[in-house]
Parts: sequence; structure tokens; C-alpha cells
Amino acid sequence: MTDPKDRKWMEGGESGARSSGAEGDVKSSGADSKHSAPMGPGNDGSDEKGTDAEGVDSGGSGAIAPDASAEPSSGARAGATRPAGQKRRGEDKAKDQKAKDIRSAIRNELAADDDEDGGGDSEAQHTKTVIELKDVSLAFDEPILENISFPVLHGETVVVVGESGTGKSTILKLILRLLVPDDGQVSISGQDITHLSFEEALDVRQKMGMVFQGAALFDSMTVMENIAYPLREHTKLTEEEIEERVREKLQFVDLDPDKVMEQLPSELSGGMKKRVGIARGMANNPEIMLYDEPTSGLDPLTTATITRLIKKLQQELDVTSIVVSHDIRSAKWMASKIALLHDKKIRFFGSPEDMIASEDDYIKDFLGGLG
Amino acid sequence: MSNFFGRINEGAKKKVQTLQEYFILAWKALRFIFARPFYGRDVIQQMDEIGVKSLGIVLLTGFFTGMVLALQTLVQLKTFGATMFIGRLVSAAMIRELGPVLAGLMVAGRVGSGIAAQLGSMRVTEQIDALNTLGTDPIKKLVTPRVLAALIMLPVLTVINDFVGIIGGNIIATTMAGVPTGFYWRTVWDQIAVDGFAFRYIPIDFIQGLTKPFVFGGIISITACYFGLNTTGGTEGVGQATTRTVVAASISILIVDYFITQLLMAIFTS
Repeated sequence: MTDPKDRKWMEGGESGARSSGAEGDVKSSGADSKHSAPMGPGNDGSDEKGTDAEGVDSGGSGAIAPDASAEPSSGARAGATRPAGQKRRGEDKAKDQKAKDIRSAIRNELAADDDEDGGGDSEAQHTKTVIELKDVSLAFDEPILENISFPVLHGETVVVVGESGTGKSTILKLILRLLVPDDGQVSISGQDITHLSFEEALDVRQKMGMVFQGAALFDSMTVMENIAYPLREHTKLTEEEIEERVREKLQFVDLDPDKVMEQLPSELSGGMKKRVGIARGMANNPEIMLYDEPTSGLDPLTTATITRLIKKLQQELDVTSIVVSHDIRSAKWMASKIALLHDKKIRFFGSPEDMIASEDDYIKDFLGGLG
Repeated sequence: MSNFFGRINEGAKKKVQTLQEYFILAWKALRFIFARPFYGRDVIQQMDEIGVKSLGIVLLTGFFTGMVLALQTLVQLKTFGATMFIGRLVSAAMIRELGPVLAGLMVAGRVGSGIAAQLGSMRVTEQIDALNTLGTDPIKKLVTPRVLAALIMLPVLTVINDFVGIIGGNIIATTMAGVPTGFYWRTVWDQIAVDGFAFRYIPIDFIQGLTKPFVFGGIISITACYFGLNTTGGTEGVGQATTRTVVAASISILIVDYFITQLLMAIFTS
């Protein structure tokens, strides 16, 4: 009556989990557009300009951007009268300070979490394997993945690329333990999650934040309720603390809390939805962030904004990330390592530079002269 | 030939698997009623959605069914000069059968399709996956509140349906057959009391009339949640899920109604 691949709610039962959907990737049509915008720090200025139209806190975003010096709005400022210009510069400074405070507050929260976990040497942490797939194989009616192995170290961003239907999103579902591999092992912080019960898997998932392709915001809830959801479910924070945390996260993703907090997801643009999705994913300060096609269906400017946000999360908050993407340009810019899936296997795993330098014909074709 | 039997075998296996999954979902949904965390706000919200918002159609259905029932039976009763018994007939039919079944069918159409469409949309837009990744069991958060709300509200709606149906019968009996209202209501009570009482104070008619909507509430909500959660194929799939829900729930209500009636009659007449 219904496709057994899609019975994800049954995944409490092992067999149900095994047979639940790989559809996200397997059925994807590859509608992802090839973004032609030059990617990289130098492009951020136009990116900021583009996002302003969506009602973001432009001052805040400019301040948080890694390359605030490249802000394009300086020209506009020069044309303004002197007192107005001074006033605006004053406001910008105040916003800069506010953004710094937010970053510092989030860092402190994470540091406090680390202390609770026993702290540790940051150098040692950066060689610690956070996510590891060992000889993972999965098949539904036909094989999807065969002997997939790769480690993700603390603070790294691994971008999984490949053609449509190669099982990229399936890898995320295996890491989230929404699917169970037929063979092999998936470990999170050294813990094998393949044989966990449904309830134990729910606990492990709280270490992770997931950003879905379509953002998957709860459409009956406001932006505030969406981001507050994991906090209300799994923490004992007061309503004031929750609101403060929601504001922090919204500001981190360059959205103005006062403008968007009470809006419903249907009132947001695609880029804003993605950013709220990121804010919800990071609400619980997870150690790991997973992104499923975070830039698909977005215009080049918003793509650059989302890419910058992912990089910012890695650089400023030291979050370990796996990004599934079609967008090789974004991948090149944000990845610590790239995993290229081809014919059910990992064809390449290494740094973006090594990938570009590769002499493998398939990799050359895949990059399409990007190098 | 072996290919033919192979296909039958596969088809049968799928049907059995579907049934198995349906009952696993039902078991989990009912078990989670007693497991933390409790989603009280969601239950209240669903009680409003399933109960309060269905009140209009249930009132209309009950009232007009009671009237048409009285109208049709009066023609027959007049031939025997037994129009005085119209109250007994209307109340027996409404409380035992028509009230529960009609309320069930109305709610299956209005609420069942709504639940299936809502959960189906959540499924195709990955909101169910999002719940899972945020560490929430979708059955606990989405299914249990709906099932609990339906189990509570269907009997309430049925009582209201029965009552307005009997009032509808009263209006026809008084205006078209000249049966005095006081006499009508006395015959209604006579009918309720005629089969005796269980646990000393509860009329057996009430037990029959309230057991059914309780079961129907479970059938409607679990069927809707099952089809909603298993939606595939985008918006077209959502449409199919709602249609399947209404068809499956309505047919189940009519079939289960017969078996409950048989069972309760066997218990209480013995």
C-alpha cells in the first residue's frame, strides 16, 4: 500500500529503519543550479547587499562577516552628509560591538559546555575523530552505498559531493541514525551508533544539528517557536533564557530578531528560511552540524551568504560539519576536505586543493574545469 | 504460473506488512499516552480541532437524521396505530446505531482527511525528519495527541449527536403526529431503561452507544496518522493519503460497528 522505503516513523524497529527512505537523494532530480557567482571572501560584500533586501540586520551582518573591510556600502556612506555619516558610523560601531558580544557569548556557552565535558587540550581536540564511517554498505532494492569509509575530525567541514542519486543524503541519514547500514559501522565521538535503540538514537541526535534542503521549518510555528523547539524539548531553560538564546542565534545568522521572530515560515524568503533552519540546527549548541543541500534553489548572492555562514560556524564556533552539496564552487571555498561519491563508493577524499590537482579523469570531468 | 503465485505471495506479504505496521503504530500511540513527555497543549489543541470544530456538522447531521427518521417511521407506525412509540424508535436508533456511526463518518470525513493532509505535508516537506533529528519521537509528538483527543471527543460528539437527533424526532412527532412532548421523552427514557442497567446505574444502551464512538475515534485517528506518515510522492501523494484515509476509515467504521454490536449483544443479552 505504501512504499516501505518511506516508513521512517517505524524506525524504532530495526527492520523498519533499514528499509526506510533513501529517497531524499536517490530520487532527487538534480535541480540544483550551477551558480556562477565567484565564491570567496571577496564576494561577501555584494552578498550582504543582497541579503539586506530580505530584512536582515545589515549592520550586524557586516560586522560579523570575516571580511568586513570589503563592505560595499562605503560608497553610499561617502555620499551622505557628514553628521548623518557620523551618526551612521556610530550606529555601525554599536552594531559591531553587539555582534562581537554575541560571538563571545556563544563561544562562552560552548566553552562552558566543553568544561562540563571535562574540557581538554584544543590541539588534541583537532585531531580527534568526531564522526567516522567504516566500511558502510547499504542497499534497498539495489545497492546504494558500498564500503564507504571516511573520518571527520573535530572542527572540520567535510563536503560530500557527487552526482544526483549517488547516496549523498543517505550518508547524512546514516549519521543521524535515521537509517541503519546493512554492513559497517557509524561512530559519533567514538560511540558506535549502529546498534542503538530508538530512544538512545534520539539522545545521540541531540549532539547534532541538521539543516534540511527545504529548511523543514514547522509551518504551524513562528520562527521563535521553531528555534526554541529543541530548547523547550530538551533543556530546562526559562522562557527568558530561551528568548535570549533565540535572539543570539538569529543574529548569528544575520537576521534581525525583532523583524522575524514572530513571522511564520510561509512569510520568509528561501534564503531566510535556510538561515532560520541553521539557527534552529545550532540552537542547542551541537558539536556537529549536518547540511543537506544548503544552497540548492538559491540565487548566487544568497548562496554566498549561506556558504559564508557555514564557514563562520566552523571558524568561530569550531563546529564539526558535514555538508552535502552539488555546488562544487561553494564546496571548494568552505571545505576542509571533500568526499566525492561515485558509483556507490568514495572516489576521492581529501583537501579541495588535492582534488583540483587530481589527474583522475572522472574528477576532472566532475570539476568541469573549475581548477 | 509460478510467476503468478509469486506475485500473489508478494501482494499478500505487503498487505500483512501494512497491517502489522498499522497495529505497531496503534500500539505505540496508545502506549505513549502514559509515557513522558506529555504534550498536553497539543492534546487540547487537537481536542479543539477534532471536537469543537466538528460540532457544527455533527449538530446538523444529528438533527436532520432524527427528523427524517421520525418522518419515515411515522408512515409505517400509523398503519399499526402505534405512533405513540415514535420516541422509543428514534432513541433506540440514534443511541445504539445512527448517533455513533454518523458522528464517526462525519469526523472521518472532516478530521481524518485533515490529519492525513497535515501529516502528509509534514512528511513530504521533511518536517517529520526534522522532528526526529531534533530528538523528538514523531509518534509521541504528533500521533498520540491526535489519538487521545479523538478517543475523548468522539464519545462527546456522539452524545451531542444523539441528543439533537432525539430533539429532531421530537419536533416531527409533535408537529406531524400530535405526540405530546412530555410523553415523547417518557418513551425515550422507557427505551433507554428497557434493556436494563450495567453496574446498577449505567443503561446498557449507553454502554453500547459510547463504546462504539470510542473505538471509532481510535480507528479514524490512527488510520489518518498512518496514511499521513506514510505519504510519498509530493503533493499528489498528500491527496492520495487523504482519500485513502476517508475511504479506509469509513469502511472500517461500518464493518467494526457490526462486530461491536454482535459482541455487546452477546455480552449483555446473556
